[in-house]
Amino acid sequence: MRAETLPTLRRALRDHRRGLWIWAAALAAITVFYMSFWPTMGAAMLDALEGMPEGLMAAMGYDRIGSAAGYLEAVVYGLLGPVLLLVYGIGLGARLVAGQEEDGSLELDLAAPIARGRLYLERLAALWLLVVGLVAAVTLAVLVSNPLFDLGVLVPNVLITGLGLALLVGGFATLAFALGAATGRRTVALGVVAGLAVVGYVFRGVANAADVEVFAALSPFSWFLVPDPLANGFDLISTLKLAAITAVAAPLGVWRFRRRDLMT
Amino acid sequence: MTTPVIRTRGLVKDYGRTRALAGLDLEVEPGEVFGFIGPNGAGKSTTIRVLMDLLRPTAGEATVFGVAPAAGGPSLRARIGYLPGDLATPARVTGREQLEHLAALRGGRGRERIDALAERFALDLTRPIRALSRGNRQKVGVVQAFMHEPELLVLDEPTSGLDPLLQHEFLQLVRETAARGATVFMSSHVLREVESVADRVAVIREGRIVDVDSVRGLRERAGQRVALTFAEVPELAPFAALESVRDARVQDTTLHCLLHGEPDALLKLAARHRVVHWTARDLDLEDLFLDVYRGGPNGVNAVREVDHAR
Repeated sequence: MRAETLPTLRRALRDHRRGLWIWAAALAAITVFYMSFWPTMGAAMLDALEGMPEGLMAAMGYDRIGSAAGYLEAVVYGLLGPVLLLVYGIGLGARLVAGQEEDGSLELDLAAPIARGRLYLERLAALWLLVVGLVAAVTLAVLVSNPLFDLGVLVPNVLITGLGLALLVGGFATLAFALGAATGRRTVALGVVAGLAVVGYVFRGVANAADVEVFAALSPFSWFLVPDPLANGFDLISTLKLAAITAVAAPLGVWRFRRRDLMT
Repeated sequence: MTTPVIRTRGLVKDYGRTRALAGLDLEVEPGEVFGFIGPNGAGKSTTIRVLMDLLRPTAGEATVFGVAPAAGGPSLRARIGYLPGDLATPARVTGREQLEHLAALRGGRGRERIDALAERFALDLTRPIRALSRGNRQKVGVVQAFMHEPELLVLDEPTSGLDPLLQHEFLQLVRETAARGATVFMSSHVLREVESVADRVAVIREGRIVDVDSVRGLRERAGQRVALTFAEVPELAPFAALESVRDARVQDTTLHCLLHGEPDALLKLAARHRVVHWTARDLDLEDLFLDVYRGGPNGVNAVREVDHAR
């Protein structure tokens, strides 16, 4: 590829390359570390959790923790994975347009012969590539752990769950990116979307504990995990719901970004 | 008639309830070096950012090469080199990385001139931009604005941060650029910085153009402060009656006045007496701004006369 093709995308990737490697290594290590507890603690876990209130068990997703898939879901896909990836994705999303606009470094790019919509799309693509890269690191760590610690989960289902995780994290990251591009304010994008993510996460906990349909219907975390992709594989409706976050946020963000003034 | 390279008509830009541009009329002809002078906050950067399609006008129109900036899009910006007033670049990258990136955004145009321009301004391309001084960062901005040899250069306070030697080198670059036929539009809050290169100058104040003239014309109308010290106390009335003299007053044996246009009449009148000392000082631009602001002889009324004369 010549240096002239997709310069904005390439630049965004290059700027965040080093951060990506560190994050990927850390996420993979944490995943393998927690999975390594399974053979020794799997059985003991159930006993240990015996005395806990049922509601709390359900809220934390520990009611199914006695199975390998349940343990994997509760620890990696229900807690560590989304939380750490969202910290990365939302932070990066808010920075890619709004952050660079606030520090002034977007100005020369926008004064160059590149359309705003094109810049938006290339940076959004870079955001997705980085998020997908990290999800791939987690997925790889799970696939490596699977035979190592005798988890017994199906490989296709791990990949499908990875897809769900990517859509969930990519969706929130896109939301932060789009809101930042629409407003030009990084803190607004960061605060609002982090808040939404926390609310969504709490909703899923409440929905699990009290079995409230409304909360489950409103929480992207529920969209991701309620169909139990590790056990059941692909679910079209929930996948479409997760993809809808991006499909709605991305066009709205670019619509506003193309029309507004660049902040000084 | 040729299309002006830059043209604005009744350009208005509001930031919320603040009016930054209040009906700006401007025309820059092809091949001109055009100075855009005004105090800080007068609307210089706002005008320039509208031309670069970074801001969208509230009302009125602006065109560059006959096209509105938003309609012209990337193909219009490909013809322009832009130096922002407050240059910010990603801090972690080196000067070369940033310049290569900006060249890539232009399809590679200008890449081959990076080294020559950097050498000319003694810019170290291998250092991270974060580690550069303000002046060196400004050099990065100068290189990226000129490297692709654009037809139009839009330069916002280009000499700020450059030391006198580099200012000189920069102005030389502007002259060369004009010599190959490009148009240069450069802002400054100091007339001194543009007067040696600019063909014409527009003065902006509170979002409006209050004066457009050649540098020489501007100087002449700005006038000189003249002090003539005589051997004896002079009579005020004949001096005050001269058409070219304003604000005449006598203090001890010295006549102070503001001179517009040719000094001939004043000197001939003074020569009837014994002159023991004299000074004549060009008004600097701040004085001119004040004069313009007060609506004095160089002010808004004079602009109308200029407009009618054209």
